[in-house]
Amino acid sequence: MEKTRLFTLAGRVLKNLFRKPATVGYPYEPARYPERMRGHVEIRIEDCITCGLCMRSCPSQAIQVDRKAGTWTISRFDCVQCGSCVNVCPKKCLTMASGYTAPGTARTSETYTKPQEEKTQPAQGGKPVVDKEKCVYCTLCAKKCPQEAITVDRKEKTWSLDAEKCVECGICGESCPKKAISL
Amino acid sequence: MAKRSIVPFGPQHPVLPEPVHLDLVLEDETVVGAIPSIGYVHRGLEKLVEKRDFKQYVYIAERICGICSCGHGLGYCMAVENVMGIEVPDRAKYLRTIWIEMSRVHSHLLWLGLLADAMGFESLFMESWRLREKILDMFDETTGGRIIHSVNQVGGVQKDMDSTMLNDVLRAVEDLQKELKPVIDTFLQDYTVQSRLKGTGILKRDDAIAMGAVGPMLRASGEPYDVRMLGYAAYGDLSVEPVISTGCDSYARCEVRLKELLQSFDLIREAIGKIPEGPVSVPVKGNPSGEYFVRIEQPRGEAIYYIKGNGTKYLDRFRLRTPTTSNIPPMVEMLKGCQLADVPILILTIDPCVSCTER
Repeated sequence: MEKTRLFTLAGRVLKNLFRKPATVGYPYEPARYPERMRGHVEIRIEDCITCGLCMRSCPSQAIQVDRKAGTWTISRFDCVQCGSCVNVCPKKCLTMASGYTAPGTARTSETYTKPQEEKTQPAQGGKPVVDKEKCVYCTLCAKKCPQEAITVDRKEKTWSLDAEKCVECGICGESCPKKAISL
Repeated sequence: MAKRSIVPFGPQHPVLPEPVHLDLVLEDETVVGAIPSIGYVHRGLEKLVEKRDFKQYVYIAERICGICSCGHGLGYCMAVENVMGIEVPDRAKYLRTIWIEMSRVHSHLLWLGLLADAMGFESLFMESWRLREKILDMFDETTGGRIIHSVNQVGGVQKDMDSTMLNDVLRAVEDLQKELKPVIDTFLQDYTVQSRLKGTGILKRDDAIAMGAVGPMLRASGEPYDVRMLGYAAYGDLSVEPVISTGCDSYARCEVRLKELLQSFDLIREAIGKIPEGPVSVPVKGNPSGEYFVRIEQPRGEAIYYIKGNGTKYLDRFRLRTPTTSNIPPMVEMLKGCQLADVPILILTIDPCVSCTER
């Protein structure tokens, strides 16, 4: 018994002497991040419609969206990398990227501003309006609406919008097979 | 009668990173009583359910504790799904099972490392945590987070695992099982470990049941009670047998957790072999109205989730009873009669998770 223990011990000692360490010499050696890693949130601000869904869905209230100024602000130290904003974004302009944000000594926030020319484009924003002539009451828009703001009754042939819930994301217009909805 | 004195234990103590306080009543070196007190890391997370959307709260439920994160998300989602009458797709159930079993492996390896560290067996501690890294890497690859996975959502899971990922998990499990063999042998056969664990912290089966012990603590007293037998998630299709030991001491609790590691490997393999194709989530419309109770087996034992919805997107109440809460009375009972030097290890054998307990 004692003999075998000695051999295992000696073997292990020798192995550990010549083996690579189990740890990585970060930051001198770069860390390898897997593809799915939730490191930090990135935004393609030119696609953002400042609908504010991300702000409302953020459990740690790290995101501030200002519609008038066209800005999207994130407090990197408040963000808990849950991915809630990425899941609700109707335009898919938010993504989770790998790699952590740099450490710091003070709370900082990053502000992204929408490019100006986007604002002057027509058909940007505004509540959806349905063309009763074209609408076939297929309910697709109601199903796609991220805020459940649209109610469609197939039997009664009614289409109604809850203006308070609507965030003017335009998904109903894109999903309409008859192109009956305009913003 | 020897003179009695009171020695404070914690809230800051080298054996635990988390704050729990005990007033130990001593007669010489022998503990004759212990008065526990908690409340150092209360964050009011249950109250927060009234201020956050019920779908959003999943992310908060997961952050109640780091080590039990996956289970908290699952328990909360299952409660909401039952209130709303949502049937989760089969593939999502299997994925949930695989992830929660992986989290059991990581939790038990963490505990084994802490136990070795408490005994002063540093190389065993490092070996346990080195192996734990492998399972954390698998979490990183499959879910995107090492500790907080954020995969559960009301109505299913957020992410699917393709066949390459499932194969990676299988391979990691195989490697881990092979490398774990010497660690298990050391824990079970090494005389240093045995001299610290054998015969200490006796908790008889009747006492364990009467005091409401749960999880490995109860199973190490010989009671075959495992909530996974209820067949939630995909456990109904898998072969789950409670791992028990009749030793009733610290060594038995260590043995149960070691064997549960092997059981988890088998369950992961079985689940990956049986996993059906299909969607991983169903759309959720409307708001929960009504109340529901869910029991699940966390790595540390049985956890209870209660929710009450009022038909709006904010829930009225969320209540969580964690395994550590139920294991505190048996721990106090177990401490009576032990030596002061054994107290840290005895507290550790219940695998306390204070941040869960205080929420």
